[in-house]
Amino acid sequence: MEVVAEGYNTFETHKSPRGVVKYLDSPQDVISLIQSGTLTEYILLVRGGTTTFLAPALSTGAIGVITMSGAPESHLGILSREFQTPCVMTAHLTNSDSRYEVGNSDEAHFDEIAKTLEGMTVQLDCAESEVGKVIAIS
Amino acid sequence: MTVAVLEKQLYDVLNAVVLKKMADISAISEATARDDEDVKTAMETLGERSLVVMVGESAMPTDEAVAALVTAAAKHYDEVRQDTVIAQVADKFEAVNQRFLEAMSAWQQVDVGGRKVANDHQDSSYDAKIIDKMDKLVSRLNRQLEVLAERDPRFGTYSTRFDRAMCLVEGGEIDYVSSPTLDSLHNIWFEFHEDLLRTLGRARKE
Repeated sequence: MEVVAEGYNTFETHKSPRGVVKYLDSPQDVISLIQSGTLTEYILLVRGGTTTFLAPALSTGAIGVITMSGAPESHLGILSREFQTPCVMTAHLTNSDSRYEVGNSDEAHFDEIAKTLEGMTVQLDCAESEVGKVIAIS
Repeated sequence: MTVAVLEKQLYDVLNAVVLKKMADISAISEATARDDEDVKTAMETLGERSLVVMVGESAMPTDEAVAALVTAAAKHYDEVRQDTVIAQVADKFEAVNQRFLEAMSAWQQVDVGGRKVANDHQDSSYDAKIIDKMDKLVSRLNRQLEVLAERDPRFGTYSTRFDRAMCLVEGGEIDYVSSPTLDSLHNIWFEFHEDLLRTLGRARKE
């Protein structure tokens, strides 16, 4: 088992959800996933802490979330704590030097993370106070 | 193909659906201060234009919804966007917003020896301080909402909702601080922020 990404942990929890990473890029992606009935099979990857279209997924049973930007104090961070949905924010790949910087990260940063993680079966480790880990299990 | 700009009533209803992400007719009616029948009719039109989709009893926005709102807002709020008083309101809000988010996180988690742990709400004096802080921030926002409501009355609905949520919180129903499934202070605040940004054509700061 390898830690493939790390980021801010929105809250400390022993919940350690496991699933296939699915990148959600639009409201339609969220609607389709909810309607498919397979929401709980996935760890949801979104671009930012202000990715507001994710809210319906949280309220309908999402098991875990990874974001590529945003802070635990953001709207999504607040929602993840309310729903007690483990969430790793501003995740970066452990084998890459690329880090998110507010207003200074290009598309390549996000593409690299999305392409690396999408489709991977992972487990979220949010047991530490500050750091959340994304662990590859296959 | 040229797509017609949404007329104001359709804008208001679609805007409320997008803000809430998933909402039934009654929630949209309250947020827009319109009758259920008017909202139903508007929702049917929005459905025909593929801007909303019904999932059970709830409406959700489609991918095209935000773009339609952005286009319509540029037309409906052109004058508001040139208004220096409103620009000042928006600038002031950014500072208040940061403090509100910090207060909300402090409501959810407390610092214990450098570790953030869930607030179990057993310390009533701690909770009272946070609620007092939120009350002051909401009061400041209400003054800004009054200015905005002079330009578009729908902004007045936020004050009504804040007043109700704050009364419930002060009456002991503390779920109305941050619950995502109630018309809580956090939900109302977040909806207003997104609404303000769209109205003024501004981008959210991450």
